[in-house]
Amino acid sequence: MSSDFYTSSIQPHSGIIIKICRAYTDTQEDFEDYYQEVCLQIWKSRNNFKGQSEWSTWVYRLSLNVSMTLLKKRKNNQQYTASDLLVEEVSEESRAFADESLNQLYRGIRQLSEVDRAVILLYLEEKSYQEIADIIGTKPNNIGVRIKRIKERLKKILDGKVN
Amino acid sequence: MEKSIETIWKEGFLNTESLIAPKVNSLYDKKSLHIMAKFKKMFLNNIWGIIIGSSLLFTGAYFAGALLAGSIVLIMMLYVAYTAYNELKKLEKIDKAESSYLFLKSFKVWIDQSIERYGKMYRVVYPILILAFYFGIWFSDSLADVRQKVSEHSDLFFGLHLGTTIFVLSLALLMSIFSKSIHRKDVKTIYGGIMNKLDSSLAEMEELRD
Repeated sequence: MSSDFYTSSIQPHSGIIIKICRAYTDTQEDFEDYYQEVCLQIWKSRNNFKGQSEWSTWVYRLSLNVSMTLLKKRKNNQQYTASDLLVEEVSEESRAFADESLNQLYRGIRQLSEVDRAVILLYLEEKSYQEIADIIGTKPNNIGVRIKRIKERLKKILDGKVN
Repeated sequence: MEKSIETIWKEGFLNTESLIAPKVNSLYDKKSLHIMAKFKKMFLNNIWGIIIGSSLLFTGAYFAGALLAGSIVLIMMLYVAYTAYNELKKLEKIDKAESSYLFLKSFKVWIDQSIERYGKMYRVVYPILILAFYFGIWFSDSLADVRQKVSEHSDLFFGLHLGTTIFVLSLALLMSIFSKSIHRKDVKTIYGGIMNKLDSSLAEMEELRD
């Protein structure tokens, strides 16, 4: 990957990638792996981008797909489940952001299903229902209801009413 | 929770330090180690497969009254397993501190050299195995009745059926001649997936270097 490609096409969207990768990983090490894998996949499939959507939308879609795939793989291997994490790793992760409320929100997001994580991330990034539907590959009709349900669940998780 | 999740999100990311990207300089580090680890695991399983398989064959040969043939097969297969074990030790020597590209390149060279060495070894091993099987089965106690029936219908040459012996000898000769290609196909069948992954990773890394 040329540094030009990284600087011009990936770096301006690194924020998106970071936000997504953080939602699918528990440790700093995993986060860095996911980030690098997303960058690599963007570079590898750059020729598949036909300009039918915004480049940023395409980056969202790819980042989510890569993160969900990696998470599924890891779950299948059962090597990186939350129960296997050491206390030190959890505390390392909990300092991922300077803002403690944000860390807490991310811990809640990580308890959602893979697709629900994607939906809530896109919602928080102020994507329209149509864009969310396009990115996760569904119809926009029930996105609003789904977001409402996810927010309720997330609130319960953050209030400590759901494990 | 006092703040809404939307507010937490916005305020949390106002701090630009939250969005510092990690360095992208070791894209293939883990992948290359993973490829190698997977290959080594398969290779080791293969060695154990040879040892267990040949031991079972030996036991079977013992009960079938073909102890000599069973022993020859066992010795040959243990020799193959020992050679494989030595190859594996050479693989351990590849420097993991090298860049991922050089590391995988060395791994690829090891595979090619290993196939070459094995090909030469199988030039002898394949025919010996085939002949040991043939003579062992033919002269085993459990085939005494068959030998008797065959001798009633056709002439035997040193106790062997001439046509079958010529066929087996030709097969052994052909396997010796084509040992390298046969072994290469064997390797492709067992390790094909991982070798394709290795090739595609190397191709990607070469493109990345460009």
